[in-house]
Amino acid sequence: MNSLYQEHLLDHYRNSPYRGTVADADFVGDDHNPSCGDRVSLSGIITSDGIVATVRFIAHGCVLSQAAVSLLIELVQGKSVHEVLSYTSETMVSLVGIRLGPTRLKCALLCLQVLQDGVRGHLQHNQHQNKVVKD
Amino acid sequence: MNFKRLCADFPIFGTKSVPKELVYLDSAATSQKPQAVIDALTAFYTHDNATVHRVVHDLGEQVTTKYEAVRQKVAQFIGAAHADEIVFTSGTTAGINMAAESWARANLQKGDEILITQAEHHANFLPWQRLAQQTGVTVRTITIHPERFVLGCTNPEHQQYDDGSYNYTEQADATEVVCAQAQCDYFDSLITPNTKLVAVSMYSNVLGNIWDEDYTLLKQLIERAHAQGAKVLLDVAQVIGHQPFNVQEFPADFVVFSAHKALGPTGLGVLYINRAVHNELVPYHVGGGMVYSVGATQSSWQKMPHMLEAGTPSIAAVIGFGAALDYMNETFDFELMAKHRASLCSALIGGLQQIDGVTILGNIKRLMRGGHIVQFSVAHHHAHDVASYLSMHGIAVRAGHHCAQPLMEVLGVEASVRVSIHAYNNVEDIERLLEVLRAAVRNE
Repeated sequence: MNSLYQEHLLDHYRNSPYRGTVADADFVGDDHNPSCGDRVSLSGIITSDGIVATVRFIAHGCVLSQAAVSLLIELVQGKSVHEVLSYTSETMVSLVGIRLGPTRLKCALLCLQVLQDGVRGHLQHNQHQNKVVKD
Repeated sequence: MNFKRLCADFPIFGTKSVPKELVYLDSAATSQKPQAVIDALTAFYTHDNATVHRVVHDLGEQVTTKYEAVRQKVAQFIGAAHADEIVFTSGTTAGINMAAESWARANLQKGDEILITQAEHHANFLPWQRLAQQTGVTVRTITIHPERFVLGCTNPEHQQYDDGSYNYTEQADATEVVCAQAQCDYFDSLITPNTKLVAVSMYSNVLGNIWDEDYTLLKQLIERAHAQGAKVLLDVAQVIGHQPFNVQEFPADFVVFSAHKALGPTGLGVLYINRAVHNELVPYHVGGGMVYSVGATQSSWQKMPHMLEAGTPSIAAVIGFGAALDYMNETFDFELMAKHRASLCSALIGGLQQIDGVTILGNIKRLMRGGHIVQFSVAHHHAHDVASYLSMHGIAVRAGHHCAQPLMEVLGVEASVRVSIHAYNNVEDIERLLEVLRAAVRNE
């Protein structure tokens, strides 16, 4: 498949330094695309001032879905949760750097959805905790 | 019938002097259209465009006559006794939903059973699942053997060899044995006094022919269902246009297919409903076209088929499908097409078997005798990646679960690649696919 995907995509697919899980994670997320079996699981640390510090992934499925999650993690580490929540499908298209039709776009977007759901869940949990403490 | 020249009838493949680089192997999704169909659509909108049935001007009357003439052509094409047994729908999915809502919901009650197979397309699975959830009917399934890729008979002791002999104790090559008598016994065990509907597909969009070679088992299932007082719905979406079909030979009460898979325009399908069932039907959609008279509190309906054709129909598509039927009647020789498919399938399967890591999902022996759908997976290469790589080289195939998630779960496969062949494909298409696939697996 070398000529199907650009080198950077294949490199992230084959040699991603972000595979694995994070111990004592602040957020976890998991989802799959039932139409093709792509699956992405994420776990990560968010600092007290809202910075995404460390994220790791376990994934299986097509090259695109796995390369996309590695590229996304490379992008988000060190960014604020609010910036991460502002990312859109255009962000992923720009990251993977190839033209995507509607079907393959879903492969690239799966990881973003998992990450944003996980980060959002962490934010909501923190807000609830703060409210409880206040009350 | 000259298969190489037939391509020239389909403008999407270019012309002899300016051929296009398209190897189209996704006809099970939608077929390509001959120029005659495209011309019929253009001619309709250029010269004939008007609505049907509720017009008194000449243009509308003429279109109505042409529209109803196509209904008659469809009836003749599938051997229906009467044109009013042909309902135009928007496709197979709409046809099955229509049967579910206009017949099943009105005639079945809690405790009644609907029998389907594990190999059904979502279109012939979800309407019954929804009906079960909403009304308490029970859906039962005929199982598919995950290694033989045929229906029924998961008992390894019941084996019939090709020469007709039985051996109840010896294990044989799972891909070559069809368990005919045991399948009949198995079907009998699934049809109970509560069975009111048997809804099955004649040709799986994933595995091809899952019955037996000449569909004797299917005919027997229809007979057994009727003997029990059950109705039968037959999905022939992957049959029409590939092999002859006559509803008198397969006397189902409902038959569904899509025009766009049989060289016709998209947005059109057919639901055949046997006249004997007409008085058991209720309207599906209500509105213009299907109503006889409207009162303040009560209304009455048109007779069949118009009772089930509410609103302005897809008139142009019907006219276009008429042209497709003419083309098939004039051009197709189904016997020659079967031999053509057999040679293409043999070349394809022979080539796939030579590629490391390729697993074919389907009864290989049966496919090589004339199937038109071949499913496979490639180790270490996701189906989407394989299909994208093929697409990069101008080859169109389908990848994913093929709208058959229950079947894929039985087969233990999340996604696979599907090659589907039609009369306009040639051995060069197969050779090109194999060449590119070999390169993909070599990691080029």
